[in-house]
Amino acid sequence: MHRTVPSLPLAPSMKVKLINAGFQVASDLTDMRPLQLCKEAGISQEEAVEVLQVLRDDGQPHQQRAATESLTALDLLHQEQALGSIVTFCSALDDALGGGVPVGKTTEICGSPGVGKTQLCMQLAVDVQIPVCFGGLGGKALYIDTEGSFLVQRVADMAEAAVQHCTLLAEDTEQRQALEELTVEKILSNLFLVRCHDYVELLAEVYLLPDFLSEHPEVRLVVIDSIAFPFRHDFEDLSQRTRLLNGLAQQLIQLATQHSLAVVLTNQMTTRVSNGQSKLVPALGESWGHAATQRLILHWEGLRRLASLYKSPSQMEATIQYQITVQGFRDAPDEPRTTPDSSAVSSPSGNHSKRPRMEDLS
Amino acid sequence: MVILREGICPGINEEFIKALQSEDIKTVEDFVSCNPEELAQKCSLSYKALVAVRRVLLAQYTAFPVSGADLYEELLSSTAILSTGNPSLDKLLDSGLYTGEITELAGSPGSGKTQVCFSVAVNISHQLKQTVFYIDTKGGMCANRLLQMLQSKTPNMEEQMEALQKIKVLRVFDVFSLLACLQNLRSNGLQKASVGGGSVKALMVDSVSAVLSSMLGGKQNEGMSLLMQVAGELKMIARDFSIAVLVTNHVTKDGNGHLKAGLGQSWSHVPRTRVLLQRIEGAETSSLRTATLTKSSRQACHLVEGFDLCHWSEERRTSISGKRKLEERSKP
Repeated sequence: MHRTVPSLPLAPSMKVKLINAGFQVASDLTDMRPLQLCKEAGISQEEAVEVLQVLRDDGQPHQQRAATESLTALDLLHQEQALGSIVTFCSALDDALGGGVPVGKTTEICGSPGVGKTQLCMQLAVDVQIPVCFGGLGGKALYIDTEGSFLVQRVADMAEAAVQHCTLLAEDTEQRQALEELTVEKILSNLFLVRCHDYVELLAEVYLLPDFLSEHPEVRLVVIDSIAFPFRHDFEDLSQRTRLLNGLAQQLIQLATQHSLAVVLTNQMTTRVSNGQSKLVPALGESWGHAATQRLILHWEGLRRLASLYKSPSQMEATIQYQITVQGFRDAPDEPRTTPDSSAVSSPSGNHSKRPRMEDLS
Repeated sequence: MVILREGICPGINEEFIKALQSEDIKTVEDFVSCNPEELAQKCSLSYKALVAVRRVLLAQYTAFPVSGADLYEELLSSTAILSTGNPSLDKLLDSGLYTGEITELAGSPGSGKTQVCFSVAVNISHQLKQTVFYIDTKGGMCANRLLQMLQSKTPNMEEQMEALQKIKVLRVFDVFSLLACLQNLRSNGLQKASVGGGSVKALMVDSVSAVLSSMLGGKQNEGMSLLMQVAGELKMIARDFSIAVLVTNHVTKDGNGHLKAGLGQSWSHVPRTRVLLQRIEGAETSSLRTATLTKSSRQACHLVEGFDLCHWSEERRTSISGKRKLEERSKP
């Protein structure tokens, strides 16, 4: 192999000892036995075994393939078309995102409190399970909750609304068959929930994700709601926070690409004061803005809820209106619907409440 | 400091090395700075063998000076200037990306760095018909978008597919994989790609700060070393293979609140030309951007050019060039 010793993923002190012993290239080391290495480099036997293990892992076929084999953009195009996206049941947002939340990329949802981030995450966790014959992905979801805002009853309501919606759409026998298996219980049982209380637990969970995903290859969505909360309070060293967040972002995009899943992160908003004016901007700092592949900002305008696509590699910036209803995340009522198979069902009174209130029922 | 080992040169075997080590000669430098006659007497090794080995080692490990005139001739014949496809950006970069050099694009999130990389890649693969290597570290590579850009340049599907095949994508997400990837490209990847027809003329890394920024700072002592190794690999690839290297970087705010490119002072010396992309204040949702030249060895710094990222409106107008100039729109 053509790897130089300084570029290997080993501890710096180990590399210094190896370089002082005269090893410049990884191929110098591959034929060595642990005892030989131990004597020449002056390291302990366990360390020698570890070094050789790292070299062997580095030379593994799948590692080599990632670093050496390139895909042409044409192959990548075919792959992307096969991956698909997760619908949000709000047709305007789906159009703005180019079909829905893309699989294989990280999407960040920022918004002030109460605007609907957790609602959208729960809606996506239900929507990823829609069977393939209805245009969904038929996959499972992993929901990492750091704020404690996950409510099972709400997900059950959304799941029931989704099942009802699919029942209305079912046309041929294949779809009817898939519908028989699609029940609220099944949807809830395909949703894995993890509760993390602080940033250490969150980092540990992300570190353990590759093993979890190898055991459950049908997982197509990982939601972290929210990634801002554990990092915003009780953190003295801001530069360490930036480093941890950057490392976390790279791990997440690696998981998204290798296991073909969509990663959705929720972020909070903070106020930035400049030139005597204050503006709401996403929290966690300037460099976090580069971490996610796509960024969606949810905000209020009077009584309306708007979603703006702020950063995307393939879609143009757009702002659309949405609303939260009893059934979940839907299109806003006064949006003219042009497509006949649009999925939005607006609540009868057009208000923003999630539970049916006594006044509406009477 | 190259240590004498068996096999670095024919004629060096284990007895040879043991004999030299008894005289406390362990590295190549120690060996060539000794007098071979004295060495032959002290170590009881053959004088001829010593002289032969010395000659081979000198040829292998010394650096040979090149005259300035020869260097100039070589540069004239091997350097090419690749147009980016956008006349404003070309003007800023003194007619385009120069091969053999590293150019850097910095900007805040959403300022258009990835879009500019896409546009340049599409221009090189379609217009100039050369192969481009694209190293993606953030998951921002979207082949659909490349296809969209190609569709606005030519309606011919075969040409689009051919251009897409000339863009090769590598996805790595941490700095060690990036180093492995670059070292592999340098040793055999680039030669393999140019054997298939169509030489490699550009390498893009989007972005180099995503993998390096988590390694710098704090109590970590390896960050700078890795940053310099990445810089070294990129420069060697650019120089040895006459390739234009384009990297993207994030921005941070300095003490006065002004934007500056990330990765610190050490990285600032690595690219030859640096461009800062910004949105236009007041027109935050439009697709207009300004590019400021912050470091250049050919033009005066702080030149500003405006351009439009928007390709979609171009499709409706069916114009051939990719982007409109800001100046044209503001003409009375």
